[in-house]
Amino acid sequence: MRTFIRRVLDRLFTSIAGLSILLMAAALVLVLGPIIVKGASAVFFCGTVEFRRMQVHEFNSGDTEAVKAETQRCQEARKPAWELIELFSRGIDTDRLEGQVKDAIREYDKQMRNRVEAGSLGAQEARNLRAKARRLRDFMLDALETTDKATALRRLKDVLDSPDRAALQATAGEELFRLAEQYKATVETVDLTRRDDYAAALAETRTLLTRLLGPAPGSAPKAALAQFRYGATRWDQALKLRDELLWREKYVPDQPGKPLKKTRVRRADEFANTKLAALFPMIDQRLEKMLNPRSTFYWRFFTDDSTPGHFFGGVGPEAIGTLMLTAIAMLLAVPVGVMTAAYLIECMRESLALRVLRTCINTLAGVPSIVFGLFGLAFFVLWLLPKLSLSNGPSALAGAMTLGMLVLPIIIRASEEALRAVPPSYREASLALGAGGLRTFVKVSLPAAMPGILTGIILAMSRAAGETAPILFTAAVAVGPWPGSPLKPCRALSYASYDMAVSDKLAAQVPHNQAGMVLTLVVLVLLLNIVAIVIRSRLTRKLRGT
Amino acid sequence: MPIEVPNTSEPEDKRLSLPRPVALGAVGNGQSLADHGQAIIRSRGFCLCYGDQVGVKNIDMEVYPRSVTSIIGPSGCGKSTFLRSINRMNDLVPNARAEGVLEVNGQDVYDKRVNLVNLRQQVGMVFQRPNPFPKSIFDNVAYGPRVQGIRRAARLAEIVERCLQHAALWAEVKDDLRKSALALSGGQQQRLCIARALATEPKVLLMDEPCSALDPVATARIEELIARLKNDYTIVIVTHNMQQAARVSDRTAFFCLGELIECGLTRDMFTTPQKRQTEDYITGRFG
Amino acid sequence: MAAATDFDRPLLLTPGQDMLGWITLRVGLTLLQFVALTCVLSVLFIFIFIVKEALPFFTSGQVGEMFSSAEWYPTSDPAAFGVWAMILGSVYVTVGAMVIAVPLGLLAAVFLSDIVPFGIRQVVKPVIELLAAIPSVAYGFFAVLVFAPWLQDNLGVDSGKNILNCSIILAVMAVPTIVSISEDALSAAGRDLREGAYALGATRAEALCMVVIPAAGGGILSGVILGMMRAIGETMLVWMASGNANQIPHPWYDITQSVRTMTATIAGEMGETAKNTTHYHALFAIGLVLLAITFGLNLTSEALMTRGRGRPGTARRKA
Repeated sequence: MRTFIRRVLDRLFTSIAGLSILLMAAALVLVLGPIIVKGASAVFFCGTVEFRRMQVHEFNSGDTEAVKAETQRCQEARKPAWELIELFSRGIDTDRLEGQVKDAIREYDKQMRNRVEAGSLGAQEARNLRAKARRLRDFMLDALETTDKATALRRLKDVLDSPDRAALQATAGEELFRLAEQYKATVETVDLTRRDDYAAALAETRTLLTRLLGPAPGSAPKAALAQFRYGATRWDQALKLRDELLWREKYVPDQPGKPLKKTRVRRADEFANTKLAALFPMIDQRLEKMLNPRSTFYWRFFTDDSTPGHFFGGVGPEAIGTLMLTAIAMLLAVPVGVMTAAYLIECMRESLALRVLRTCINTLAGVPSIVFGLFGLAFFVLWLLPKLSLSNGPSALAGAMTLGMLVLPIIIRASEEALRAVPPSYREASLALGAGGLRTFVKVSLPAAMPGILTGIILAMSRAAGETAPILFTAAVAVGPWPGSPLKPCRALSYASYDMAVSDKLAAQVPHNQAGMVLTLVVLVLLLNIVAIVIRSRLTRKLRGT
Repeated sequence: MPIEVPNTSEPEDKRLSLPRPVALGAVGNGQSLADHGQAIIRSRGFCLCYGDQVGVKNIDMEVYPRSVTSIIGPSGCGKSTFLRSINRMNDLVPNARAEGVLEVNGQDVYDKRVNLVNLRQQVGMVFQRPNPFPKSIFDNVAYGPRVQGIRRAARLAEIVERCLQHAALWAEVKDDLRKSALALSGGQQQRLCIARALATEPKVLLMDEPCSALDPVATARIEELIARLKNDYTIVIVTHNMQQAARVSDRTAFFCLGELIECGLTRDMFTTPQKRQTEDYITGRFG
Repeated sequence: MAAATDFDRPLLLTPGQDMLGWITLRVGLTLLQFVALTCVLSVLFIFIFIVKEALPFFTSGQVGEMFSSAEWYPTSDPAAFGVWAMILGSVYVTVGAMVIAVPLGLLAAVFLSDIVPFGIRQVVKPVIELLAAIPSVAYGFFAVLVFAPWLQDNLGVDSGKNILNCSIILAVMAVPTIVSISEDALSAAGRDLREGAYALGATRAEALCMVVIPAAGGGILSGVILGMMRAIGETMLVWMASGNANQIPHPWYDITQSVRTMTATIAGEMGETAKNTTHYHALFAIGLVLLAITFGLNLTSEALMTRGRGRPGTARRKA
């Protein structure tokens, strides 16, 4: 019986241990999975014509002529939709109509005044004409204001059948009659009592349609922010917007005392029996024609700059910044690290100095990265670089130096281990052939230790590329120009990843770009790690002579 | 400078009449010693300590040119220590300290002003385990000449070919000199190490149990090689294999517990040892 | 040409060569010494500059409240600089991470060293070490944008950015360190130790728990300490996922509350602090506390490593 229990316990132990490995594998998949899937969609996705238009306008990439032609075709397909909106808004968006009416009369006034000044019209006559025009305008405004169909039609009739109509012929005032006629057509179809409801719904629809298809042709002046200049650039975005356009989320009371219940209502129903109702099936069926989605491999994601907030574009400046920081850090840390390791192995015997040096290396390895950041701020940014009058304030150089210090122990430890693993017989053989210490080290020990040293260097690189805390106050900025001079602060993948994940409201609208940024960083780091593994095995095999 | 194979039919060195130091325990058979002329390596009261530990003490011994001198003895008797003292490889060991005199070509090698580079180039060494560098065969052999500053490819190729031929390896590797030396078999690697040592044009070749890591076939080839090389070089070989000493060497020195017990002609040593310890060791009563 | 036995190169150095060699050696060694000194200087400078910047805070008279109060209002008037809640916050997330990571890491290490075939181990270990290579920002990204909403939706907590979230992700980050070092220590404990235990009739679980793990104790403990150092010093993930609420959880066991750690405070506030204000110096004082903690842990781990070397289990392998 006891044996049985022991055996069961043993099995249990084994399976729990196995489970722990599985758990870790699951953690790896769970953490990396969403990042990879979402991040990949920043590069591989279904791009619409808006995406290609955006690329041409913002990043100067793509075939300008082809995109222009494609845009033309799509605008053609969108035309009916915009026309429907325009038509409907005449009856609903009375504010706009009022404005147009007033503008027309004001223009008429101006024309009359001009004529008087030119002497072709008597002052009294002009005053009469203007009064007539103003009366017509008031009829028109009344017609626009009322929600009673009969009143509106009567007032319109007053305008259209006015005996003064002939007097306004061939002047700016003629516009008034055109507007009145348009409005008359609308009034006959639209239920004016529900005009306010329609107005709100129409505004929402118009906004959604703008987000989906981009600004209506010939409408407003160019938007200041890039994200308002284009419609949905990605098909997945477009489908989501289409869904929003077709269905409206509504919170309705379900049971008393309970929170409101979320329901979806057809937006088309809100416009039932109006001309606009036709818009929704049209969007539903013809969206592909309007946006022309095409699967896209956006490799320039890795080289393109981005519009503010990373709404459009790629991670070019960040990638370059990270590479620059890492390269400078390595340039500084590798010679020091390898030479220190060489000194430790070749020149030092067991002594107090060795123990001190070793403790220092271990301490350096244990300093938290944020403390490195503080130190970099206090030493490089505020003390050393201003003293050398190189830069005032954060700079890539300061960040790289901080990163260099951070990875120094990694390089030293890896190099030391690799050098120690070189068989002493190599050294002996070289010395016995009359080579000096330096030559022996450079020609024999160093090449034999190279796989280990290289591995250490690449791992250090991946660490330097991934660290954020040390560059927070020393080098990184969220917005800035392309990285150039190492004496200026620069953008970096790690910092931008943080920035996009936490503080940027705009970035939350483009989750693919958020994840794409992180994925670029992760891929860079993992790639370096894998390169390290490959180099290690390659060189080891080469050294073994197979 | 190419290594010339000396004409063996030439009259032997005729400096017979010169006074010759008499090694401790050496058999007074002057006739065979005469063949080798004056001692090329000579030690007088040589001691080497590692800290408090004595490696070898009070060694009085000679090695004669163009002969094979073997050093035998039980493990830990200091035979390797003595061998490594000759080209000062013991310098690598921390706390190593030498006393007494150890002369190579009449020059005390423990003199402060000794040119270690020249000493080690002229007193080559082959180690217990084959230790080619993790480079190509060519680069291994060319390492020594390159250290000497020879850069011309044609000259290097010539040296490499000659040394590999000398080490009886040329025929086996001539087609893939660019192959990694580590891909060779153990015996080939050891011959490569010998070729590498020969490339610096040494006068003396020290061999530290060169066959202990090899199989019998490879061992036989190395022994053949030694027999041929002794025409041109002075060879000192440490071995724990008495049969090997008997086969390859002209003179034998027997070390025990850091001291030189007996030194003399191999033939005499194995037939009529002078010391009881030697006899016990040779007959296998201890060791 | 000289006879092969003639020494054609002088065995003695000329005085000039001698001098040159000596000078070259000295110069080279001095150069190397200077380079090696970089490390020592780095550590020295880190301590000096952090202390230097923290010193004005220690002489400002507000240092007393640092460890006695949980009130951190550095910009109000009068300012309050109590870091007690932050220290507790750091302790909460670190202990939480360790509670998850140590058993997991230890079991995984045992599994790798003693249970799986060697071939699988060769594949799995580098993969686990890849986990350690992933930048902490990526973990933070996951914690904020994936894990926190999930916690909010499924556990009904107020904020997904809390101790629990932070601890779990920190644990995932600390595990590879623990696994890697513990696995080395366990492998180093040697086969004869295990054979001895099996020979006495122990099952695998018994042999591991009663003999091997105690023998590798020093190494395992130092692995745990290194993992802990990584957790305490971690900045980005904690900053992103802990919620940054400067409070002491109440009741104390409620791990679904947000906290704020020392590292996150430095990271979050240093960017917006004017130089040479009390606030600025107080942040450096927090940095000094962090530095002291990790330095202490480092020395402990080193001492354990050294002691571990003297142990019978590990000594045997070296022999």
